[in-house]
Amino acid sequence: MADTMGHSATATRNTSVALGFCLLALAPQIFELIWSIGTIFGWGAGRGPATVLISHTTALVAGAPAALLGAIGGETKKASSDVLLALIYSYPLFAVAIVTLFMTIKSGQDYIGGVILMALALFALWASSDLQGMRGFSFGAGTAPRMFGGLLVALSAAIALTGLLSEGPALAHYSWRGPLFVMCAILFFALAIRPLGLVVSAFVSFMIAALGSHETRWVEAAIVGACLTAGCALLFPYVLGLPMPMFPRFLVQ
Amino acid sequence: MELFANLAHGFAVAFSPINLLMCLIGALVGTLVGVLPGIGTIATVAMLLPITFGLPPVGALIMLAGIYYGAQYGGSTTSILVNIPGEATSVVTAIDGHAMAKQGRAGPALAIAAIGSFFAGCVATVLIAVLGAPLTKLALAFGPAEYFSLMVLGLIFAVVLAKGSVLKAIAMIVFGLLLSMVGSDIETGASRMAFNIPELADGLGFATVAMGVFGFAEIIRNLDAGAEMNRDLVQQKITGLMPTRKDLIDSAPAIVRGTILGSILGILPGGGAVIASFAAYTLEKKIAKNPSRFGRGAIEGVAAPESANNAAAQTSFIPLLTLGIPPNAVMALMVGAMTIHGIVPGPQVMQKQPDLVWGMIASMWIGNLMLIIINLPLVGIWVRLLRVPYRLMFPSIVIFCAIGIYSVNNAPVDVILAGVFGLVGYWLIKHDFEPAPLLLGMVLGPLMEENLRRALLISRGDWSVFLTRPLSAVLLAIAAFLLVLTLLPMLRAKRDEVFTESEN
Repeated sequence: MADTMGHSATATRNTSVALGFCLLALAPQIFELIWSIGTIFGWGAGRGPATVLISHTTALVAGAPAALLGAIGGETKKASSDVLLALIYSYPLFAVAIVTLFMTIKSGQDYIGGVILMALALFALWASSDLQGMRGFSFGAGTAPRMFGGLLVALSAAIALTGLLSEGPALAHYSWRGPLFVMCAILFFALAIRPLGLVVSAFVSFMIAALGSHETRWVEAAIVGACLTAGCALLFPYVLGLPMPMFPRFLVQ
Repeated sequence: MELFANLAHGFAVAFSPINLLMCLIGALVGTLVGVLPGIGTIATVAMLLPITFGLPPVGALIMLAGIYYGAQYGGSTTSILVNIPGEATSVVTAIDGHAMAKQGRAGPALAIAAIGSFFAGCVATVLIAVLGAPLTKLALAFGPAEYFSLMVLGLIFAVVLAKGSVLKAIAMIVFGLLLSMVGSDIETGASRMAFNIPELADGLGFATVAMGVFGFAEIIRNLDAGAEMNRDLVQQKITGLMPTRKDLIDSAPAIVRGTILGSILGILPGGGAVIASFAAYTLEKKIAKNPSRFGRGAIEGVAAPESANNAAAQTSFIPLLTLGIPPNAVMALMVGAMTIHGIVPGPQVMQKQPDLVWGMIASMWIGNLMLIIINLPLVGIWVRLLRVPYRLMFPSIVIFCAIGIYSVNNAPVDVILAGVFGLVGYWLIKHDFEPAPLLLGMVLGPLMEENLRRALLISRGDWSVFLTRPLSAVLLAIAAFLLVLTLLPMLRAKRDEVFTESEN
């Protein structure tokens, strides 16, 4: 009884891990899609969401298989960057995801860590695929990135393999509260420092970061935050002489 | 005696009022950082880099150096009194140091740690002065092939000395090398892996990545563990700092051994203070007549690692000043500080900037003297700092880091990038990948690629050049030997594991 329960538990676990890898395999495409929504409102340059969606879908469904078959058939045609992304990055990860379904993961920490690292390496291989390679005996711009990218793919595959073959720690628990609020604080600071100045952005970021711990006492945090802001407002621009906007732009003008 | 003339010149530079002040500030900040857990040397030096813009180069480097070795002193205080390491380098000090504190011998433990550090600091200062000139001459005989091989050796050292899986450490180095290639190619100027983001055209800033992986990631990790870390501060007043005669006799050989081991590990590329303290503790435990004393308040367990980490912190300046190769992440940041002031680290520095090199060396000795005063009689002040709860400290560190990164280039994108690398660092921690080799790979990446390309260009694409040039061949042979040496016991251990499992 206990045995079957244990088995079904690993099975569901594996399915969710495999689904996670599928999501990882599509992450750059999804990221570009989200990013492209901004172009509707006129932020940033790039392709619109409709173009992005169509181009990636065709690349994934039709373009890449065609290019793959063409390559086997000995055809050498320049593939578009979307097709290359599907070929170099997404397909290998889909393959890994499918393999994951049939494996027993002995060490989640190593296996998942290895696969994510492999994803990063594959992504780097894709990112450097448009660069020039060797010219005679001299290195092109793309030689070294491709060399180390390939090496990292091999190493991360080996790490993932040790996660399958030898016992090790399971996937560690990720918490969301600390990372979320600390990242929000950093993001707010980065976006606010130019328009709102040091005083506002430092204090607000302090309070956002303080949300990251459930032990925060608000009055105490506000007092310390105010003191720290005052200290920074004196230290950085005056004592250290680093030019920095102090107050919100609309107040100064 | 050129050496004494040089040292005298150095002391003349270091004793100028501004440099003395910088040395004191560095020592104070270093002690503060060392005492406070949750903020490391790497993050601090990265944070303070922009501050050095306005300072004269000699003063700036004296201050940054002071932070590094000052943190080695401060870290021991927290380890001994609170049983959590203030600094990664004093992890092992906590084992016996805190045991001593519980027996009411916190005073002697602190004193021995400081005396050991001071002794090690003095020896290391002399060592830098003695080895500097000959190593510089050696460096002039180095061609691109030799530089490349030396860096390979350094990276292999980092792998060998890293704790945990060798495979993961190598993967981290390669990941670091890849990260270093983001931005413009040195030779062709082609934009690599920059995705048309203008801020990436210049490459990923080393300080940005270091701050993310070591600063932000550390904060997030600490929040995970519950902000209120177990701080069983030794509450009783520290009485009687002076160690007994027996303490001194017991610890003297340990201090000497720790200093020697630390100095060697500091010079080797890929080494550094953290590894030195671990190695020194292990050595003491191995050669002790009665190893069971360790962990229950053996004074050697405090003396050896504390001497070793301080010696290593200082001798790691040797490869930087003579060969221009940063042996660890903190030294890589020092390269950053030097480049801010237009100084290219390498063999020329010794000749072209005698003020800088000898002034810095002399300041180390002065700094050590200051530190022993800062740390021993004033220990009460530092202990009071430890009562600041983490829930107030961590948002402050976040803000300081953010302002620090922003002010390096006045670029908000850098702050966001550091945040992203904070998440990457958190992920690395969760999967038991070590971030230190990653940073080393990132630092050595551009140097390695440049020398590799140059060496192959000179040899007209012949890879055997690395083996036919004798110096390069020797370096590579040592690297290969080391790697085999590390892999062998690991394979054997794996086999033993399998055997014990099958027996069960």
